[in-house]
Amino acid sequence: MQEDRFPGHKFLPYLLIAPSIAVIIVFLIGPFVQSIRESLFVSTPFGTKTIYVGLRNYVRLFSSPDYRSSVIATFKFSAFVIIGGLSISLAIAQLLNQKIKGVGFYQVALIWTYAISPTVAGVIWASMFAPATGLIPYIVSKLSGGYTLNWMTNGNIALFVVATAATWKMLGYNIIFFLAGLQNVPDEFLEAAQMDGAGSWKAFWRITFPMLSPTTSFLLFVNMLYAFFQVFGLIDIMTRGGPGNATELLVYKLYRDGFIHLNTGFASAQSLVIFLVISVVAIIQLRIVTQKAIYSR
Amino acid sequence: MKKIIFITFLIIVFLASSVTLAAEKTKVQFWHAMGGWRIELLQEMVNNFMALNPDIEVEVQYTGSYGDTINKLNVAVQSKVAPHVVQGYDIATQMLIDGEVGLVMQDLIDADPTFDIGAFMPQVLNYYRVNGKLYCMPFNSSNAIMFYNKTLFEKAGLDPNKPPKTYEELLEYAKKLTTKDDKGNVVQAAVCWSLNCWFFEQFMATQNAPLVDNDNGRTGRPTKAIFNSDAGLKVFTFWNDLTKNGDMINTKLEDWTAARNLFISQKVAMLITSTSDVALMVKSAQENNFELGSAFLPTPADAEAGGVVIGGGSLWIIGGHPKNETDAAWKFVKYMTEAPQQIKWHTGTGYFPVRKDAIEGLLAQGYYSGSPHDLTAILQLLLSTQNYNTNGAIIGAFAEMRSIVASNIEKMLSGSMTPAEALAAAEKAATEAIRNYEGL
Repeated sequence: MQEDRFPGHKFLPYLLIAPSIAVIIVFLIGPFVQSIRESLFVSTPFGTKTIYVGLRNYVRLFSSPDYRSSVIATFKFSAFVIIGGLSISLAIAQLLNQKIKGVGFYQVALIWTYAISPTVAGVIWASMFAPATGLIPYIVSKLSGGYTLNWMTNGNIALFVVATAATWKMLGYNIIFFLAGLQNVPDEFLEAAQMDGAGSWKAFWRITFPMLSPTTSFLLFVNMLYAFFQVFGLIDIMTRGGPGNATELLVYKLYRDGFIHLNTGFASAQSLVIFLVISVVAIIQLRIVTQKAIYSR
Repeated sequence: MKKIIFITFLIIVFLASSVTLAAEKTKVQFWHAMGGWRIELLQEMVNNFMALNPDIEVEVQYTGSYGDTINKLNVAVQSKVAPHVVQGYDIATQMLIDGEVGLVMQDLIDADPTFDIGAFMPQVLNYYRVNGKLYCMPFNSSNAIMFYNKTLFEKAGLDPNKPPKTYEELLEYAKKLTTKDDKGNVVQAAVCWSLNCWFFEQFMATQNAPLVDNDNGRTGRPTKAIFNSDAGLKVFTFWNDLTKNGDMINTKLEDWTAARNLFISQKVAMLITSTSDVALMVKSAQENNFELGSAFLPTPADAEAGGVVIGGGSLWIIGGHPKNETDAAWKFVKYMTEAPQQIKWHTGTGYFPVRKDAIEGLLAQGYYSGSPHDLTAILQLLLSTQNYNTNGAIIGAFAEMRSIVASNIEKMLSGSMTPAEALAAAEKAATEAIRNYEGL
């Protein structure tokens, strides 16, 4: 088959994809294999001694109460970011998809947050919620008659604030895709539904939402990766995993164990566990959601 | 074809020029963890060194925080691209010794008759000497100090020349210094320090209490943490009481800047921070129109006499480089610890000089009469009892122990643990970390 497209050049196609394959091997597969290997060893910092320990790193991991609380925090956080973030973005995208005056301005105003670096976003949210000097604790105390909102000492609030910041940071991205998805929903369908007497709520759930399913399933996946991996910068800037490990998500715990405490084997085991969790969730999602997604009009 | 010849020519010229440059100068890479204005100060010192030694080129690189620097070194050593000189932080000492990455500084010192280690401050040497040997060169040393806002003391009706000396006094003072609005919100708090295990370590030493067994790891490898003591409980309780009363504002983990800013903006009246902030605090107090005071760290009234522990960093010469480069690195390290450079560094930052003759010289010039806060810092160190408890603990898994202590303090402050519970949990987890490390 290939011979037809590249007559006389049997190896040309392989040569052409070689650079991409090389990058994938060097930057993805290589480190992955190395992580698997290292998760079976314990080594001293600077690698002077490396001892094979079998699955001891994993045993240590699953018997650690800190790790369990990190798993719970990660799932709470991800649920908030994915479900909360996608619902809000969809609602906003729906509003932005109207033919009103100055819609371009609103679109830009709501989308540009995505262009902010995690560091800047983290600093903005951290200063808004700063217990002694922030605007939000001040407003909360005025409204509630003296309640002190202090996320530096309250783990639940800290997790909520970080999750809110992470959701906000991702809004722009989600809105762009939903908006594109919405603009692909043909007006005729909605008009037809209107003619048949469907309310706008019903039209949305019966027509728009199903037609958005490819977009939604894509965004679900991207947001899951975001909630698991890319929130590192935000956490590092805002809470450093505190207070009392309340915001120590899996990826942040991995960083502390691997790069601050230099326990490479222990951190490699954690990275593999995250990989497995993500893979399982991704496979389930691809199986269920994608099969049900409606790709054609 | 012409194009190809031209490009080849360019490449040859480029290669030739870089080869000749390399042949002229010995290159020394220097990694450090000094952020902010200290980057420029260090660069200036390096430039002076290069002007004196035209055959050596020092490439300076700021490699992030102390932890980041060690982490980069870890990667660089294992991929065999390590720099020549690295600034390592106090608590990484044992880890770096175990990693066998550095040349033993003592050997270089012994081999060089022009270098006199006797000129160094014994307090600093006591910290860095492990098993009777210096593995690294002391460079930037600091410890914890208390700054207070004399102007706010006066406003509160307190004597600005009588800073609190004990926990009990500080809690008394806090009643006047902490002000709340009619709804009970804290408008001004009494005290602040960043959420940092380092302060716990300092507070333990000032009560003459150890962190780990085997004389703080100084007479043998540590086997367990022993800070769940009366002294430890006093620190945890003090911290907890201050927070619960609203007398203290806590920051996120290791957020030195936030703590400093609260003090500079006069939102808190007292700040416990590193002596390396002296120069910055003097400047900030002037800019914000308040009078700065400085004092020794408070201790419980009935505490044993102890002292402060040396913190900060030291310079490591990494092994595995050609002899001429190592020689150049040694020359550079030597230069950085000479009296004139140490004076420049001390007056520019607040880290105290690691040499006796530097302090002597500054004293003779009358420097300390104009810089009382530098004097507070140095006196606090000089008046410290010298023993294993104040020489600082030597622990391989120190970084991990710090994370453990800090997160348990956070759990205590959030009310999910009592001080006694948090202390016990921290000790237990720290012992486990020590055993995991020592088990290798």
